[in-house]
Amino acid sequence: MAVGAPSKMRRKITRRDAGWLIAQAAGVAGGADFFAKWTQGAKHDVHQEHAMHSTAPPDPHDWRSYRPQFFSGDEYRILDAFSAILIPSDDTPGAREAHVTAFIDFVVKAAAEYAPEMQDRWRKALGWLAEQNFGSLSAAEQTSLVQQMAAPEQDNSKKHPGYGTYRLIKDMVVHAFYTSRVGLVDVLEYKGLAYLTEFPACTHPEHHQV
Amino acid sequence: MDKYDVAIVGSGACGGWACMALAQSGFKVVVLEAGSHIDTYKEFKHRWPYEMQFRGAGQPGFLRKYFKGSTEYNYRIMIDDRENPYTTAPDKPFAWRRSRVLGGRTLHWSRASDRFSDFDFKAASRDGFGEDWPISYADIAPYYDRVERFIGVSAAPAKLPQFPDGVFLPAMPLNCAESIFQAACRKIDFPSTPRRVAQLTRMWHNRPPCHYCGNCVNGCDVGAMFNTVVSTLPPALKTGNVTLLCDSVVSHVLTDSEKRARGIRYIERYSNKEVEIGALVVVLAGSSLENTRLLLNSEPGGLANSSGVLGQYLMDQVSGSGVSGFLPILKNAAIRNDDGKAGGLYIPNFTNIGVRPKPAKFIRGYAMSATGGAMGIPAFAPSLPGFGSDYKKRVKSLYPSFARVWLSGGEMLARKENYVELDPQVRDKWGIPVLKIHCTHCDNDRRLYEDFFERAQELFRAAHGEISDAKPFLSTPGSLIHEVGTCRMGNDSKTSVLNSFCQTHDVKNLFVFGGGCFVTTGDKHPTLTMMALTARGCDQLIDMAHKGDI
Repeated sequence: MAVGAPSKMRRKITRRDAGWLIAQAAGVAGGADFFAKWTQGAKHDVHQEHAMHSTAPPDPHDWRSYRPQFFSGDEYRILDAFSAILIPSDDTPGAREAHVTAFIDFVVKAAAEYAPEMQDRWRKALGWLAEQNFGSLSAAEQTSLVQQMAAPEQDNSKKHPGYGTYRLIKDMVVHAFYTSRVGLVDVLEYKGLAYLTEFPACTHPEHHQV
Repeated sequence: MDKYDVAIVGSGACGGWACMALAQSGFKVVVLEAGSHIDTYKEFKHRWPYEMQFRGAGQPGFLRKYFKGSTEYNYRIMIDDRENPYTTAPDKPFAWRRSRVLGGRTLHWSRASDRFSDFDFKAASRDGFGEDWPISYADIAPYYDRVERFIGVSAAPAKLPQFPDGVFLPAMPLNCAESIFQAACRKIDFPSTPRRVAQLTRMWHNRPPCHYCGNCVNGCDVGAMFNTVVSTLPPALKTGNVTLLCDSVVSHVLTDSEKRARGIRYIERYSNKEVEIGALVVVLAGSSLENTRLLLNSEPGGLANSSGVLGQYLMDQVSGSGVSGFLPILKNAAIRNDDGKAGGLYIPNFTNIGVRPKPAKFIRGYAMSATGGAMGIPAFAPSLPGFGSDYKKRVKSLYPSFARVWLSGGEMLARKENYVELDPQVRDKWGIPVLKIHCTHCDNDRRLYEDFFERAQELFRAAHGEISDAKPFLSTPGSLIHEVGTCRMGNDSKTSVLNSFCQTHDVKNLFVFGGGCFVTTGDKHPTLTMMALTARGCDQLIDMAHKGDI
């Protein structure tokens, strides 16, 4: 048995409803602030407008003025070039716009206290790239080396001495990029963490049969 | 010494309910909570990964070392293992995930609210293993009604005997991936229904409806999901009958010479001062294992343990890796709010209940869940081969098509060999002996998991999904955070600690609420049943008190 009228389930909540709800919620602690955001959400029709305007706040950290704390200048430049090959700036922003290298430096520096082995891994990885003179290679040569390092990823019968380095850097760069505002909001257009009056139900007939 | 009618230890789902029920009946109640009183409306807010220093993962190594199982979002409401250790045998790991905070684990629970059926309560009668519960569905059904009416459960009736329907608010609609999985379930004859969650879909008891941010397990900022602080506590406090003592770590239940509980001894968390309070009735509701620990520590050999079974029959539900991949029909789809309700599609158990002709290679059953879509950070991206512009485009195109099927919970058999005891050496920050936990899976648990893994792939294939990750492994016991047992209920005081009202056989004025009383885990999420048993036990307590029988 359902409580109340199930017919209300799919009805879009209008701003007038939201006003009624605000009156109902007068006694709810924190209610006023919440409903102010909620009524903003109510202006968007979630069914007609899937691409609801993002309410994502700006990144509170000032990565532009970040100075490397863990990596040396050379290591930092190598990592920055490597990151930009993995997630390039093309028709959408890439690792550079997301300040991926700065974030990685910050995290690896902070590993000193509870995970010093993480610092060792990064030192070795960047050391290996320095041995390959990664910093002085041309852009095409750099991409070609990354390609060779990555070969075991597609075909595990292949081996490459740089695969561990590639794996370490890729895992972290991908994490850093898609957890940044640039990666998550600008590139992936993630729509969550919003204030919605109704959950956008699937209304596509083709998804209701297989 | 301060004296109360009832002293309640713990403020989670069961402690909160007991507090409300007993205070509203006119009892003077004191609630002892080991953790802090936090203002959930102020503390909890939407937080984006990039707003946190370490994007949700915490300082490298920190959470793994001190706050196992938590994230940068929620570790401050989880337990600090440095202050609250527990031990296991080296080859028998157990993951014990705890919270010490007003509201306990209700602040970050998964909100799944299922009713047990007689397939769960009377499983032993069907297959001959273990014991039946001393109650049947008919005994507890009115209490399920009462709890659901108060906490608000959004769900759809499923009309399945193994998964009883209840008093429901409108269900949350399915997203695209879940709709596809539902269609696949219809095709291969799996039952399915939206996950039943204690999340509001309308104004309810002065609480606002869900706004679909998906932040639930990091704490709801408006109180649209059930937790003690926004739900059971306000009406309890309104009675004027409740004294709330936070940061109070209970060490002993005190008894008198006639084997009656007479109060509680606790330690002030920050001053380390020992305090005793008197109570006519003592209610333990500090979680399954903390209750047992407290009973074991209150008296040599354990208080209310004439049966000797206190600590035995520890269970967590069987869990392990699921199956994930992509639903090709959703590739390149417009990005939608897919993870906002943090729910999914639920596939109730259908094995060993007589609806399938072929008997399974194991006894008891399990439930699965499925969801998909644009789920925040693309967890699949690091293992997706390649790099460069092409890689970026593939991540974007796959993002809305990600899908996964997971094991919601499988029944773990109740076995005597799985037990807890007090560690003879290790003590917590307040000098209280800690638990030593002994728990392993049995062959039936493993076979059940293997069956799930096959069925999960079958479902994925029926949805025309591309499986990208299917590596089976059984999780460490405890990982599902459905740890129950160790203080089981039964009609025979020689083989159980509690009667069916969660009252100890040995000490009449001592009640133990929570999962400790469970005779079996069943295949459902446990919290709603714990709360319904609490409501039933409180009725009994009130009734006995009015008759002068306690």
